[in-house]
Amino acid sequence: MSAISLPKDGAVDTFDRFIVPLISIGLPLVLWEMLARSGAINNFLFPAPSEIFGTLWAKTGTDIDAGVMYSHVYYSMFRLLAGLGLATVLGTLIGILIGLTKWGRFIFKPLLSLFMPVPTLAWTPILLLLMGVDNKTTIFIVFIAASFEVILNVIAGIENMNVKVFWVARSMGASRLQIFFKVIIPGILPYLITGVKLGSGYAWRALIAAEMLAASSYGLGFMIYEASEFMDMTTIYGGLITIALLGYIIENVLMGALEKRTVAKWGVQVER
Amino acid sequence: MSVDKIVAQNVSMRFGDVLAIRDATCTIREREFVAIIGPSGCGKSTFLYLIAGFEEITGGTIKVNDKPVTGPGPDRGIVFQEFVLFPWRTVMENVTLGLDIQKVPAEEARRRAQKWITLAGLGGFEDAYPSTLSGGMKQRVAIARALTYDPEVILLDEPFGALDVQTKNYMIRDLQSLWTEANKTIVMVTHSVSEAVLLADRVLIFGARPSSIIADIHIDLPHPRSAEDTSVKAYEQEVTRILSAEVDKSMSMERRAAA
Repeated sequence: MSAISLPKDGAVDTFDRFIVPLISIGLPLVLWEMLARSGAINNFLFPAPSEIFGTLWAKTGTDIDAGVMYSHVYYSMFRLLAGLGLATVLGTLIGILIGLTKWGRFIFKPLLSLFMPVPTLAWTPILLLLMGVDNKTTIFIVFIAASFEVILNVIAGIENMNVKVFWVARSMGASRLQIFFKVIIPGILPYLITGVKLGSGYAWRALIAAEMLAASSYGLGFMIYEASEFMDMTTIYGGLITIALLGYIIENVLMGALEKRTVAKWGVQVER
Repeated sequence: MSVDKIVAQNVSMRFGDVLAIRDATCTIREREFVAIIGPSGCGKSTFLYLIAGFEEITGGTIKVNDKPVTGPGPDRGIVFQEFVLFPWRTVMENVTLGLDIQKVPAEEARRRAQKWITLAGLGGFEDAYPSTLSGGMKQRVAIARALTYDPEVILLDEPFGALDVQTKNYMIRDLQSLWTEANKTIVMVTHSVSEAVLLADRVLIFGARPSSIIADIHIDLPHPRSAEDTSVKAYEQEVTRILSAEVDKSMSMERRAAA
C-alpha cells in the first residue's frame, strides 16, 4: 500500500486544515499545562499556558494594565505596515530602474550587492544617533529589512517579461506613463507580491528585535524586553505567542487574500 | 484602383556581423493580403518587425502611407505567434486595451470590442482570463485585439504557428470571413505554403540569408478558398517548387558553415 493519501472529499480537507494543526499545537500545550501544574517542570521558567493566556487576557482588559496590549500591538503593526509600505513603493521603483535602465543598474546594483549581506540590526546604532528613540528608527529598520526582497523580485519580474508585451502596447500608441501603469506594474505584480511576502517575514523579525533596542514605551518587542527586566515570564511567553499569531496572519491571511485577488485569479504563478 | 500602402526600398538589416536582409524591395497596396514565406531563419519576421517599427532599420527605407517608419504606431496592429496576451486582463479587457490606451470612453470601447469578439467566435468568454483559454482561443483574442482599435495595417507574425494542425485548419477556414469583414491591408509571415496560398492575394518568397525577395506570386482566386481546390493545389506546387530550391540552398550553406 502506498503511504501517500490522495484527498477524496471536503471532509479530508477540513481534517487536514483544522483538526491536524489543532492536535499538533494543542497536544504539547495540554502536556505543558499538566507538567507545570504537577510541579514536574520549573514554574518560573515555564509558567503554565493557562497563566500565560490569563496574563494576555488581563492586558486587554480593564485591570491595572488597562488595554496596554492593544497599544503594543498597534505600535508594532503601525511600524511594520509603514516600513513595509515604504519598502514596497521605493523597492518597486528601484527594482524597475535596475531592470529597465542602464543608469539604474549602474547606480543601484553595486549598492545592492554591498549592503545586502549587512544584517539589518547592525544599522540600529547609526539610526538611533540619527533619529533617536523614535518610531522613525524602527520604521526605517523595517524598510531596510523588507526592501531587498522587494527589489530582487521586481528585477526578476522585469527580466521575465516578454519584450513583445511592450511592442504590443507601443503599437497601440501607449505613452511611457501608460506602459508603466498598464504593462509594467501589472506585469511584475506576481513577483512583487512574492517579494513583499518574503520581505514582510524579514521585516517582522527585524521589527521585534529593533523594538528591543530602539523603542521607548510600546511595541511587542519592547513589551518582551521590558518584561525581561522584571523577570515577568508570563508576559514574555505571551509576547511570543502574539508575535507568532500576528506573523501568521500577515504572511498567510493578508498576503493570501492579495494573491487570491490577483495572481491566483489570473492563473499566473511565480516559480520559487 | 488601389493606393500603395507599404513601400519597402532596398531594405537591409544587420545584427552585429550578421546580415539578415539584403536589398529587399516590394510594394504592398491598400487592402491587399500579402503572405511572406521563406526558409526558417531567413529574416521574414525581422522584415515584419521593421514594418511594425519594433527594430531600427540599418539600410534602405520603409514607408507606410508615404511616411517613413520611425517606430511602432497605432496605424499598424500586430498579432504574434505566441499570442502575447495580458494575463491580468479578461478577454474583453485585452480586446479593449488599444481603445483604452487611446482614451476611448469605456462604453464605446466595449461596444466596438464586442463586434470583433463575436466575429472571432469568442462570444460568452468576455470575462474569462487568458490562462483558462486554449491556444486557438488565445490567438482569436490576439486577432480581435488587433482589429478592434482599427489599425490600417494588420501584421501577422506566424499567427497559426503555435497551434496544432486541427485547430490551425479550423482557424484558417473560420477566419477567412473575418479578413473579408476587416477589409484591411494584411501582411502575414508564415512558413506554411498552404496557409499562404489559402489566405493571401500575393505571396512574397524570401530567399536564404542574407535574404531578399526572390519571387512575387499573385494568387488570382476568389475567397473563400478550399484546400481541396485543384487551382489552389497548383499554386501550392508552384510556391513549393521555388521554396524548396531556396531551402536546399540555405541547408547546404548551413552545412558548409558547420564543416
